[in-house]
Amino acid sequence: MTLENCLILGAVLFCIGLLGALTRRNAVVVLFSIEIMLNAANLNFIAFWRFSDNPAVLNGPLFTLFTIAVAAAEVAVGLALVIAVYRHFKTVDLEQLDTLKEE
Amino acid sequence: MTQEITFWVLAVIAVLGALVAVRRRNLIHGVFALMIFFAALAGLFLLLLAEFIAAVQILVYIGAVGILLLFAIMLTERVTGDDARDITSRGSFWGWVAALAVLVFLLLPAIQSADLPQTTEPYNPSVKALGQQMMNPYVVTLEVLALLLTAALIGAVAASQGGEKKKEDADDA
Repeated sequence: MTLENCLILGAVLFCIGLLGALTRRNAVVVLFSIEIMLNAANLNFIAFWRFSDNPAVLNGPLFTLFTIAVAAAEVAVGLALVIAVYRHFKTVDLEQLDTLKEE
Repeated sequence: MTQEITFWVLAVIAVLGALVAVRRRNLIHGVFALMIFFAALAGLFLLLLAEFIAAVQILVYIGAVGILLLFAIMLTERVTGDDARDITSRGSFWGWVAALAVLVFLLLPAIQSADLPQTTEPYNPSVKALGQQMMNPYVVTLEVLALLLTAALIGAVAASQGGEKKKEDADDA
């Protein structure tokens, strides 16, 4: 378990999340793809911290905690918006959501 | 050695879980795969001696985010969607190209060319130290984060009730 392997795993997971965000048409799937990308970033934070010279300085875990809190806020607002959009347009298909107001 | 094996097992589980979550047509199956991905990542955090982060990962992601996603899916569309309809967006080929290009041409070369530390220092995990460091250099961040979470939750409630008023008007009419 070298730092390089951890970073490669993080990169692969990030790109899987990117793939989901770019290729799926359901808004909920796009939201959780973004969660996958945020988690990949968290893995990098923890890996860099573990392989640092002085792991007693807990910057990595603290940054990760803050990221998790921001991600939780993001997913709460994002899902509320998805539900609001669904009420309005009766769909969460991103291909059909191409206007800002009701036609 | 066992550490090595554990790392690779968890890595494979995480990658497969993420892939299934992203590509599966049935959204409920997708969310369960996502939870497996979150659990594998919690295992990796444990392996890297971040035991408090692993606990937070399970509590927040599997416990809260996963359930929230399940609710959002059940409140919106039919779970599997229309079988005839494509689950991928228009121009998804370019999505594949972009994602693979970012991986192969941006991230992997950056990792390969970096001069990375190879050794780990011994470390005793301590939640007490985490709490103290959160209070000492990062207390302002913590307060801002609390404000952000409060604002986000109020915003979420306000946004999800946005359609209510119209419905009442329609009922009146």
